[in-house]
Formats: sequence, C-alpha cells, structure tokens
Amino acid sequence: MIRSIIPLIAVLLFFLEPVFSLFSPVNIGGTSYTLVPRFVVVYLIFIAVYYSRQRAIIYGIVLGLLYDMYHIDIIGLYAFLYPLICFIATLIIRQIHRHIVTVMFLALLLIIVLEVLSYFFASLVSLTSIGLDEFITGRLIPTIIANSIFVGMFGWFFKTLIYKRVVERQGETL
Amino acid sequence: MPRFFSNKRLILLLVGVIILVALISFSLKDRQNASLPEQVVKDVVGFGQSLFSKPALYITNVIGNIDGILNTYEENKHLKVRLSEYASGQAELADVKAENERLLEVVGKKDDLRVYEPVQATVISRNPDQWEEKIIIDKGEEHGIKKNMAVITANGLVGKVVLVTPFTSTVELLSTENRNLRVAAVVAGEKTYGLIEGYDRKRSELIMKRIDSSFEVKVGQKVITSGLGGIFPKGLLIGEVTEVSTDDYGLTKLAYIRPAADFSLLDHVIITKRSSITDVNGTDGNDTTNTEGEDGS
Repeated sequence: MIRSIIPLIAVLLFFLEPVFSLFSPVNIGGTSYTLVPRFVVVYLIFIAVYYSRQRAIIYGIVLGLLYDMYHIDIIGLYAFLYPLICFIATLIIRQIHRHIVTVMFLALLLIIVLEVLSYFFASLVSLTSIGLDEFITGRLIPTIIANSIFVGMFGWFFKTLIYKRVVERQGETL
Repeated sequence: MPRFFSNKRLILLLVGVIILVALISFSLKDRQNASLPEQVVKDVVGFGQSLFSKPALYITNVIGNIDGILNTYEENKHLKVRLSEYASGQAELADVKAENERLLEVVGKKDDLRVYEPVQATVISRNPDQWEEKIIIDKGEEHGIKKNMAVITANGLVGKVVLVTPFTSTVELLSTENRNLRVAAVVAGEKTYGLIEGYDRKRSELIMKRIDSSFEVKVGQKVITSGLGGIFPKGLLIGEVTEVSTDDYGLTKLAYIRPAADFSLLDHVIITKRSSITDVNGTDGNDTTNTEGEDGS
C-alpha cells in the first residue's frame, strides 16, 4: 500500500464535505433542517485513536487552516477546533476500551462538542442569531443523524485502513 | 491525577492559542478583501474542489433529468394550454421592445439600468458549516467578476458577490442573516421603492423594509430590483409579496416577500455585469454604514 494513503483520504474527505453541503438545507414539511457534514473530523478522530495523536493534530491544523481560509474567511477557528477535538479524543480513549463501536460513539459525541463550540463562536461574532432550542432541533439533531450514517458506513473501513498502515509502519521500523 | 502537559507543551499550547486568537481577530476585521495568501489558497483549493463538484453536479443533473422524463406527460398537457397564451405574449413583447428602443432613441438616452452582460458560472461548493449562507463559484477576477455584482438563477435574484479572487468568487445568498446585505427593490410596474433587508428564517421569506406608507402594496405583486442602488441592474425578479404590515415604529411599511429563486441546491448561476455602474458604494454595496442611522427613523 502506498505510504500517503492516510493523508490522501483526509484530503478527499475535505473536498467531499462542501459537495454534500450543496444538498443542505433539507426541507421537510415546511421546516428546513441544516445538515453539516463533519467527515474530516470523524476521520481525524479515528486517526487520533488508532494511529497517532501527533499526526492527527498536525493534519487537523493543516486542514483546519485550509477550511478557514477557503470557506469561512475567519482564520484560526477550525485550525484551533480540529486539533482540540483530536486532543480530547485521545484523552477519553485512554479511559475506555478501543472497541470499534465505542469509537463510533465517541466520534458522534465529539461532533456534538464541535457543533456546540462552533455555535457559541458563531453567536459570539454574531454570524447567527438563532436561539439554543432552534439550534438543537434545526441543526444539531439532523447533523448527528446524518453523520451517524456516515460513521456507520465508513467507521469500520477507516479502522481497518489505519490498522493496515500501522502494521506496515511497524514492519518498516523492524 | 495524570499529568496532561509537560511544561514545554504547555508553553507551546499557550503560544499557539495566542497566535490563533490574534489571527481570528485580524481576519474578522477585514473580511471584504482577501490577502495574497488567502487568494492563492482559495484558487488552489477551488480548483481541486471543482474537480469533485462538477462530476457530483453532473450526476444530480442526470437524476433530475430522469425525474423530469417521468413527469413529461403531465407537464406536456399543462404546457399545451399555456402555449397559445405565450405566442400572443411574445408578439406583444417584441412590439413593445421595438417601440421602447425607438422612443429611447428619440429621447437620446444611451445608458440603461437594465442592460447587463451575463456571465455563466458553476457553483463549486457551499460553506459546509452553514452559519453563513455563502457559495463559491468558479469564475473570478479573470472573467471580469467584481465585488457587489448581482447573482441570479433562471428564476430570480439569489445573492451578490462579496469576495473575489483571480479564479473564484464567494457569493452571499439573500437568505443570509447579515443585515448589511441590502438590495434596492421596487414593486414591478409601480413607484413603490424599498430595501430588501433581512430574511425571516421561520417563514423562509425575505423582508422588504422602508416602503413609504403612502404607497399601496398588494399581496401577490411582483418585486424586482430597482437598479437605484448603483450596482445591481434593474428588473431582476426577486419575488412575490405575501404579506404587508407596518414596521416596528409604524412609520413605514414592511412587506414579506417569497423569493422566486430557490436557495438550496444551487448548481448554475449567472453573474450580471451591469454596463453602467454609477456608484460603487451604493445601497447594494457593503459600505452602507453611513445609512445605518436611518434605522432609527
């Protein structure tokens, strides 16, 4: 397997996120639900848990910086949030078992953390004026549902992929 | 109690946080212009992004076409009814256009607020964390796009250009919460001027403010851009009036407008290059802080 498969997939997911957000907001029964694709951060959490914290944080800073510059024009927001999420992930995973299901739930939990943090930041700099209840029903819950589908579909794939790379790297050092 | 940080790491973390906070405050200050590194990143990432978005849009178009074929019979029936209406309308329009041209010549008026040059563009991404309603398109400075130009779809006005780099530009949609995105509007066929200012998320409708209370606005009337803001061309369809009420102070009228264009699932848009730009900082522009005082009136 080629060496750079792990960063390549991170870049791929980075480009896929805005494609999926073209389909949002979804309008069901007169109310619109905002779905926020958080593919990159899910993948970073898997890297942090199964591979190495340091790499996850470096990828987080680079991709977060690109995300800030390209999409939201506020440099430093996601460049800070992505590494923070990776750091929290490694702190929690020390306490619990590294089973694939628990890691999936951990990823979803951290998406909630990320969403809430970005909501607080957005209301702080007054990008948004929606209330907390509207945020939870119109944005947080749909986002979690949509991302849980993604995590369910690709979580196992990420895990095997990263494991393969870890084994390969151990082979290199021997 | 486990030790999370060694001293060296703690210092590194603190320095990092300070740099990031400085960066955030620096970039919040001036979001209208992109610095050189930002432009380079936007163009490079935008190029990569279009490699992903264009196939995705192609696939959704194919699915849309299949969907269209399934409804062909119903639509055909409906359209046949409208066809005769259309033919007579077309003849009348041609006649009126010719007449208008002749009269303009008589008057000797060369500049027309309606005239614009359309630039076709493809939407390559939508801001994934959707706090701001922004899309990025694949045309930029090199294609003659400038800040504050109006962006439309076949159905009507969708937004305006807020940031331009050489090969991409960022468009802010009308459904934004940003109060500085204003569009000078007028009720079609009348002299009822107002400003499109703000968006009601719950009703998914635009709000047209500052309509003089002596004017009558009826539900169902069409609202178009007035061209008086200085940047947008005249006559772009915005939407239809659904409700009329008075504003908070009871001095001017306020109308809710159902937008003609759909703000979700945008794929192809048209940027309008108006031929006669009078004032780059008009009401349609961003630098409207000096008109802010009118809010209290």
